[in-house]
Amino acid sequence: MSSAVASFKPIAASTGESVRLAMQRLWLTGRVMAAGARLVVQHVFRSDEERPLEVIYSFPLPRDAALRGFRITGDGFEAHSELKATEEAVRAYERGVADGSLSTLARQYGDGLVNLTVGNVRPKETVKVYLEILTGVEMRDDGFRFRFPFTLAPAYHARMRAAVAGAQGEMELPADEFGDVILPPFREDAGSLHEVGFELSVLHGLPLEEVGSPSHSVKVMGGAVGSTRVALAPAKDVPNRDLVVDARYQATQVQALSGPSGDGKRSFALIVPSTMFGRNEEKPRRTAILLDRSGSMQGEPIAQARKAIEACLAALSEKDSFSLMAFDNNVEAMGGGVAPATREQREAARAFLKRVDARGGTELAAGVTEAARALGGGGDILIITDGQVFGTEAILAQARATGIRLFCLGIGSASQDRFLALLARETGGIGRFVTARERVDLAAVDLFASMGRPVATGLKADNAQPEPPEVVFAGTPVLLFGDSDQTAETGDSSGAVSLTWDGGAMRLDVPEGDAETGETVRLLRGSRLITDWESRYPAGEATGPVAARRQSRVAARLAELSATYGLASREMSLVAVVKRQGDRPGELPETRVVPVGMAQDTAFDAYFGDTSRMACQVASTAMPLQMDYSSAAKKRSGKRWFALGRSASRMAESALMREAEPTVLELAALLEPDGGMPGDNLGVRIARSIAAVLAFAAEGHTVADGAFRLHMSRLVGFLRSVSVSSDKEKLLLERALEAALTGRVPSGRWLALALSARTGWKQVGKALSL
Amino acid sequence: MTLAELAEASGAPARTIRYYIARGLLRGPVKGGRDAAYTVEHLERLDRIRALQSEGRTLAEIAGALNGGQQKPAAAPATAWWQHAVADDVTVWVRADASPWRLKRIRAAVDELARRLRPVDDEQGKEEEIR
Repeated sequence: MSSAVASFKPIAASTGESVRLAMQRLWLTGRVMAAGARLVVQHVFRSDEERPLEVIYSFPLPRDAALRGFRITGDGFEAHSELKATEEAVRAYERGVADGSLSTLARQYGDGLVNLTVGNVRPKETVKVYLEILTGVEMRDDGFRFRFPFTLAPAYHARMRAAVAGAQGEMELPADEFGDVILPPFREDAGSLHEVGFELSVLHGLPLEEVGSPSHSVKVMGGAVGSTRVALAPAKDVPNRDLVVDARYQATQVQALSGPSGDGKRSFALIVPSTMFGRNEEKPRRTAILLDRSGSMQGEPIAQARKAIEACLAALSEKDSFSLMAFDNNVEAMGGGVAPATREQREAARAFLKRVDARGGTELAAGVTEAARALGGGGDILIITDGQVFGTEAILAQARATGIRLFCLGIGSASQDRFLALLARETGGIGRFVTARERVDLAAVDLFASMGRPVATGLKADNAQPEPPEVVFAGTPVLLFGDSDQTAETGDSSGAVSLTWDGGAMRLDVPEGDAETGETVRLLRGSRLITDWESRYPAGEATGPVAARRQSRVAARLAELSATYGLASREMSLVAVVKRQGDRPGELPETRVVPVGMAQDTAFDAYFGDTSRMACQVASTAMPLQMDYSSAAKKRSGKRWFALGRSASRMAESALMREAEPTVLELAALLEPDGGMPGDNLGVRIARSIAAVLAFAAEGHTVADGAFRLHMSRLVGFLRSVSVSSDKEKLLLERALEAALTGRVPSGRWLALALSARTGWKQVGKALSL
Repeated sequence: MTLAELAEASGAPARTIRYYIARGLLRGPVKGGRDAAYTVEHLERLDRIRALQSEGRTLAEIAGALNGGQQKPAAAPATAWWQHAVADDVTVWVRADASPWRLKRIRAAVDELARRLRPVDDEQGKEEEIR
């Protein structure tokens, strides 16, 4: 299919003939901070038709995002949007269109989908819309990840209608659940679509170690402290993936963003690293691992996920227990429920994973429900998914109802970040989202190491809203938003926030700050609160009195939040009507829906065309006997996405994948239930374990830091449990234990030594020059 | 009627109606400019489109079906099939490349077929047990 679509050109929906692009450019600017970003997205619309156009651009909101307003400009005019109740905004828009006036509506739907509709763009006219958006960022103790969607990933819904029409993929959602939202057509080749680009300022209070992007080629300009500019290095790019920008600090510490917010108060955002709370306790883990095997995961994502799960399971001891499941339209479990992590169970898991290939839809809610049932009320769920689903409010409601914490590892080049961030947060877990070209396995192992053993429980803050998470996990800081009553006029220039948790307390000062930061922080808090409430919106039309009451309660709260913060939501939309000389009432504009690029690394035929991978096992009363594949179908599972990404960042490069290279991940998967490496006798096991510790340490992992900290702890546990006879052996052991704590290790081929079944005391001693 | 009145009567938003017109699912208004008007025919068309959508048809398919009853383009040869043993003497073959929505419909139909064939089998089984 890819060869046939290489020459895609924009085509008119009605005639199939070539047309010029209705949207020509999308350019992102703004400021990215540790607590979130304040962005302006420029959309350039142009009509090269003989009649006026109505252009619809559909995009997903990033995580914790809300629209603040837009400015529309053109030849001789400029207008600003008004925030109105959605019904009123739609009426104003329609009146404007009927009057022949240039009308613009930014309306939000379920799942954080937005339709930006510009009606009556006159022939040969260029119109620019500057849309202001507030968004959250994915925070880590040592930095943050900013993500912005330049395309919209197609996603699964049980009632969606998907097909190839006019050489592009089309997807339609049921109106009773999604209203009149219009999704973009999807092009496998994004080269002929509108150009995208960005220039951002990364503002940072802490000195930065690195700024880079695993998704785009970037230019980075600026110093270690203050502001760093990150811009697209080439002149332009194509809309087929998210922009991802990573910032890493030189040191981990509390950060405070604050300032007067215009209402006599001081708004603040405090970022408290998990290292401020304490260390996690050693206690048995109870974990359900849930792997998304839907068609869109085909290729390397699922292959990486398999490897990652094996490595995660190797971090478990026999005191821990787990269950393993894979879901598409159906949920398939490895065994009946949760079982101790014995060698036999891990072997069974490996055999189970070998059989898991990507196919079918994404019935995520069913997977979560099954995993929660297997856990029986205690434990955590690790879910590895691309999150490519519509109807996320219903899934969130079901996930909340299970009462189990979800740890989400998202994989994908186009954002489902908003949904997966909500899924983790709303259940009390944490989430990470990696691009498909990064090391999914490392991210999974890192996330897994945080699970089950919180560093703080029962967390409370005296004047923070939204409420902070009750439980804190290693690696992820706590973000506190709030207002402090004290102002500079009272003479007390240091408002403070008190944090308490089981066995600990902390008081954090809120500095005076500046007005611009204060207002930005206030808006970020508003967009976070709106996102939280949006996620509680009942799915579909309210059919019963209880659902209707709930819907009306959520709607009222959203309208109130929108009014308070001046931000759009599903209840409040942005509209502007520009009356101009020459408006021609009654003229019907021609509708153009702006196409987007198929998300990079998602196979076009996972959703459109040959949807064999979407096929599911049907009725339990009529089990399928066999699958009859033609050779053509078999050939389609190529790894065409496996090329290296480009990046100016060393950090990003290091996270990108290298093919066919033995990694510490393979080492991690080898750990025995007692924490040691395998071997024919104890001597070999100890020697290989020493080499394994040195191999992990050589890549920066220690018992306290790095993705493999859990594996290091288990290796150290094993080495401490064994007794050795000679002084030389004792010395070798001490060297390894020291390296596990400090990360300092002499150069050597430690990985190869650890992986070799022939490694013994002699080889390790020689490598350490002892 | 005006576009606003058509939207009100059909329950389809005005923007959706303009979108359908652009896609060739619906004819434009009978007059242009200020006098643009829509008829009962438009209303009936919108009802028909909604009915076809509820059957799982995409707008592209609906456009084809409504415009002179054009046949859908011939389906590409199937690359994979599911076989379902509905009963000892009945096997149903289903194209594996059907859309998820279509597969749900097929599943319901296969379930129904299996259910209708089952009582006979069950009764035979019981008879065999009794013997």
